[in-house]
Amino acid sequence: MPEPETRDQAGGSREPLAVALSGVTKRFGEVVAVDDITLEIGENRFYALLGPSGCGKTTTLRMIGGFEDPDSGSIRLHGEDVTGLKPYQRPVNTVFQSYALFPHLNIFENVAFGLRRKKVPSVEVTQRVREMLDLVQLVGMEKRKPGQLSGGQRQRVALARALINHPRVLLLDEPLGALDLKLRKEMQIELKRIQNEVGITFVHVTHDQEEAMTMADTIAVMNEGRIERLGGPTEIYEDPRSAFVAGFLGASNLMEGRIEGSGVALEDGSAISLPADRLAGYDAQVHIGVRPEKMSLTAPETVPAGVNSIGATVVDVSFIGVSTHYLLRTSWGADLVVVVQNLDDERHAAGSSVAATWQSQHTFVVS
Amino acid sequence: MTTESPAPPEVTPPGDMQTAGAAASKSKRKRVPYLLLLPGGLWLIMFYLIPMIQLAGVSLQEGSFEAGYEFTWAWRNYTDAFAAFGGHFVRSILYAGTATLLALLIGYPLAYGIAFRGGRYRNLLLILVLMPFLTPFLLRTLAWKVILADSGWVVGVLQSIGIIAENGRLLATGWAVVAGITYNFLAFMTLPIYVSLEKIDPSLIEAAQDLYSNPRTAFRKVTLPLSRAGIVAGTLLTLIPASGDFVNAQLLGNPRQLMIGNVIDSRFLRIVDYPTAAALSFTLMVAILLIVIPYVRAVGTEDLVA
Repeated sequence: MPEPETRDQAGGSREPLAVALSGVTKRFGEVVAVDDITLEIGENRFYALLGPSGCGKTTTLRMIGGFEDPDSGSIRLHGEDVTGLKPYQRPVNTVFQSYALFPHLNIFENVAFGLRRKKVPSVEVTQRVREMLDLVQLVGMEKRKPGQLSGGQRQRVALARALINHPRVLLLDEPLGALDLKLRKEMQIELKRIQNEVGITFVHVTHDQEEAMTMADTIAVMNEGRIERLGGPTEIYEDPRSAFVAGFLGASNLMEGRIEGSGVALEDGSAISLPADRLAGYDAQVHIGVRPEKMSLTAPETVPAGVNSIGATVVDVSFIGVSTHYLLRTSWGADLVVVVQNLDDERHAAGSSVAATWQSQHTFVVS
Repeated sequence: MTTESPAPPEVTPPGDMQTAGAAASKSKRKRVPYLLLLPGGLWLIMFYLIPMIQLAGVSLQEGSFEAGYEFTWAWRNYTDAFAAFGGHFVRSILYAGTATLLALLIGYPLAYGIAFRGGRYRNLLLILVLMPFLTPFLLRTLAWKVILADSGWVVGVLQSIGIIAENGRLLATGWAVVAGITYNFLAFMTLPIYVSLEKIDPSLIEAAQDLYSNPRTAFRKVTLPLSRAGIVAGTLLTLIPASGDFVNAQLLGNPRQLMIGNVIDSRFLRIVDYPTAAALSFTLMVAILLIVIPYVRAVGTEDLVA
């Protein structure tokens, strides 16, 4: 499968950078929340900072917004150094995790808040608020108080309140975290539509890898204050490069092996081929990984030529409906999970010997 | 409650009594809220409404302690009392109003500091605010007599920086009374404001700053409106009892600073002129209501919470 090139920081790019962090570090007492991060976000991107809680993603976002000051490093917005500027001096707006709508103001005044502070004439305020409520489909709610809205509607108000100011960059701090699953799916599509429509760079913090992959065109996976992997959703899913990223973005089968020639030999001697550049920088011992859905099962004697394969025994079979999950055990005792689409009636019973096969480009190497 | 809901088993009679039982339980349900109101209602009737009516009756009586009082619709009591003690009324409202304002000016920053900057010392600081209440009211006020004494350091400092004259004093002035009232009611101002500030989600202030408010505008547009309920509660809890206070004026003032509370106190207990005392009490109540009702209507709290 060809991988779309979505890296926005590739050298030679002429695009202006919406956000550029260089060498940014933030400590809270003894804890290093953000550890020497350098990050470049292009114009008009949907950018996701993805990671488990405590990985520093929210702190990074808050530093871009001006709510925290970095201990070292600099933050530039559109080439302008904003390090040390207060939030109200920065051309960015934030959609807060709990929405932070002003409970004493109605929806109209909530959305108009930023324009009022900028002393925009009242006629223009009315017009822009109407346009914005139209964009987020909340026309007719002007007179209500935030407490009278549903979670999804509050989310839209928070979005409108930030976007009406035409920020250079919109920061979203886990904006969908408080919504239920169905609404979350709807809002993911909605957010993507709005981003397309307004053409503003969105920086989106989330711990939900599916959410990040659905919406973002570039994802930075963070762990322990550092960026572990940066790239487009397909790219980082197909070639996560570290066990952490591989595990965070979904299930994967990791196996130990050693480099032999241009491939890797597993413990039972089976030779695994993989794209040559993925072995660059490694010597001797490596871990290789394959996503469960990339593997398919055949009888050991019908393995097609030109694919990687491992012999294994079926330990457990679970039928899920759209797919069947097989738990396999290799001859050296490693467990593999294989997810097979229910396209044909061929089933492999527990105890039978099978070969798990996959295309060489679906093999990745993790550190 | 009009919805048909299953009756609790213990009130459901068996067999053909079913519908009658359901109706009975329905009316019983209707009565429950009133039954719950009963203890509080009885309390109010016994200790508030009946004494009030009694007081109103007394305020319209004529006579003397020796000869006995007689109910004669003596409206004159009111005009006479106001003619004689109008100055005390004005002074009471003035002192109580000034003290309320001072308590607000001290109490709001105090509550703000505890709520937003108190960190893990919040509870300790709150206890410190309440601490003076562990000593009796009278002792606390007497202590102010010492603090404001002519030879005390407060007077000394104020004299040396020229705020009061070389031979000036604080004790037995209106300021001493106002200071005493302010001090004695400070906690009533601070605590409600603290409660309303403490509830404010800090991300609301961040949101205001994110939307181009500098800290001062954020305070004016978000923090202050959201603490309005606390300010209203605090000012009422200070203004109302302070208007009727008589201890501070008695201990820290001189006869020229007596408040209406002192007059009522002496009319009731020393001169034993019940009708005048009752008429003064009623007038004070009406005066406070006339101040409080427009105030609450103007800054009203009803549309604060959605």
